Amino acid sequence: MTSNETNTEKPNKSPVGWVFVVLIIIGLAAFIYGILSPHPEKAWQAYLINFLLWSAIAQGAVLFSAVMHMTKARWSGPLSALSESFAAFFPLSFVLFLLLFLGRSHIFPWLHADLHGKEVWLNIPFLFTRDCIGLLVLYAIGFAYLYNALQLRSSANQAQGAFRKMIRKGWIRNNRNPEQVKKKMTIWAGLYILAFTLVLSLIGYDLVMSMDPHWVSTLFGGYTFVKAFYVGLGALIILAAVTRIKKGKASGLEPSHFHDIGKLFFAFCLLWADFFYVQLTVIWYGNIPEETHYVIERTLMVPWNTLAWTIFGICFIIPFVILLNKRVKSAPVFMVILCSAIIIGFWFEHLLLLAPALSHEVTTLSVSLSDGLISLGFLGLMVVAVSYFLNRFPELTDIKAGEAA
Amino acid sequence: MQGKKYIMGLFKDEDQVVSTLAALKESAYKFKRVHSPIPSHKIMAALDLKKSKVGWFTLVGGILGLISGFALAIFCAVQWNLIVSGKPVISLIPFFIVGFEFTILFAVFGNVIGLLTQTRLPNYKGMKYYDPRCSGEHFGVLAACDPTQQDGLKEFFQQNGGEVKVFD
Repeated sequence: MTSNETNTEKPNKSPVGWVFVVLIIIGLAAFIYGILSPHPEKAWQAYLINFLLWSAIAQGAVLFSAVMHMTKARWSGPLSALSESFAAFFPLSFVLFLLLFLGRSHIFPWLHADLHGKEVWLNIPFLFTRDCIGLLVLYAIGFAYLYNALQLRSSANQAQGAFRKMIRKGWIRNNRNPEQVKKKMTIWAGLYILAFTLVLSLIGYDLVMSMDPHWVSTLFGGYTFVKAFYVGLGALIILAAVTRIKKGKASGLEPSHFHDIGKLFFAFCLLWADFFYVQLTVIWYGNIPEETHYVIERTLMVPWNTLAWTIFGICFIIPFVILLNKRVKSAPVFMVILCSAIIIGFWFEHLLLLAPALSHEVTTLSVSLSDGLISLGFLGLMVVAVSYFLNRFPELTDIKAGEAA
Repeated sequence: MQGKKYIMGLFKDEDQVVSTLAALKESAYKFKRVHSPIPSHKIMAALDLKKSKVGWFTLVGGILGLISGFALAIFCAVQWNLIVSGKPVISLIPFFIVGFEFTILFAVFGNVIGLLTQTRLPNYKGMKYYDPRCSGEHFGVLAACDPTQQDGLKEFFQQNGGEVKVFD
């Protein structure tokens, strides 16, 4: 795991790769400029939004592979191998979480508030300890799953590296027996799915819901991890589409694969909206001021109301109508556009959940240039991490990978 | 049958059916249909059928269902005009549940109607040109030709590796 720290120094050598390295530098510069400016809280808010969004993408995409293995699905083919490459963002995500500690006074509005007994749960040392352990456990299980999964996928006659040697050794220790490896994969996949739900719930409660410390929704954890799987699938479709466009038939990705994952994506679009609706209905029926103020502030009051309905349109209504069509789901180029729009939609969804609590007296919606630049920096990090991983394991984007799954 | 002769080739192998279908398209014989004991993607692809219209029935059913669900809930609420715990009489948030359930129900109705009208169902008489082996381990390819070409079609099926059944 230590050599993952060198991710940023060893991008792939094509000129496109350098664009993303430049994006990281620009993002970093914008962030440092932001925290040195008179309003560091704006930069930290953008940082938190991006940390949550990109971590969710990585965690959700890896979940795809675990779920496919658990359900013994055969339709996914090369898609599950591709989804594992998102695990390369795990170490980065963990480091990014640790850096969040530096901005604690800007991102936790409850820090100096009277919490009426909640301070037992909401205090900085406990919050960072439990989230840190949670993420560590989730990522360790993810890598343990990956360690076994890659034994099946990687072939011996590729260029050797420290990672590959380790995986090779594991393969020999398992007597080169696929059944034995698959059994271990099943255990780790099950644990990953369990850890995913628990840790993402925890992150959702601690880093998003706690921003409004007097508001409670028991469903918020579920909402968070369903959302994470939804954006994770979106990112996976983008990666698959780019692979297909770049490598053509050699990638092993057929239109039918896009059709099938498009259907799953569609299902999670519905499920996300369902979780949102279920949460809303209970709050609406109960009509208790402690609960309703959160929804009213975000859906009925200026400046958030238009944003809220735009997000609902981009993340649910538009994809719902478009994804009914089979032809669209099988067209990689179109899916890239749609999934990108949805991921941007979820960036704003995080903004909607966090910003009203972090900046109370705003009357206009302000998304500055530096927010965009910081986000591009995170995009760069993700792309560099994933392409680093895929360069190490080129057989993941090769046609042989599909048979091993 | 205006002198048309119906002949069925019976195959044990899926790939033979696919190659036969391709050859049949080139020939002068008239292809009628395939009987398959299992759903087969390969044969579906080889047949190259027009897209089914059943999906449209489902879609229209679903849209009608959404509208009728809301209409029913609103209609019922307006009959009594009772205000329950301060909520508006017509409150769309809970009515969405009725709307959603009706969407599913009417979409299913639409789907069934589509199936009945688009797939020549119901059929009480059974098929005239059919072999019970097609419910067992054989794929049946049915084709028609003029009586003069009968021997040619028989030979054609045999060349492609199938047994032949001739209908009177």
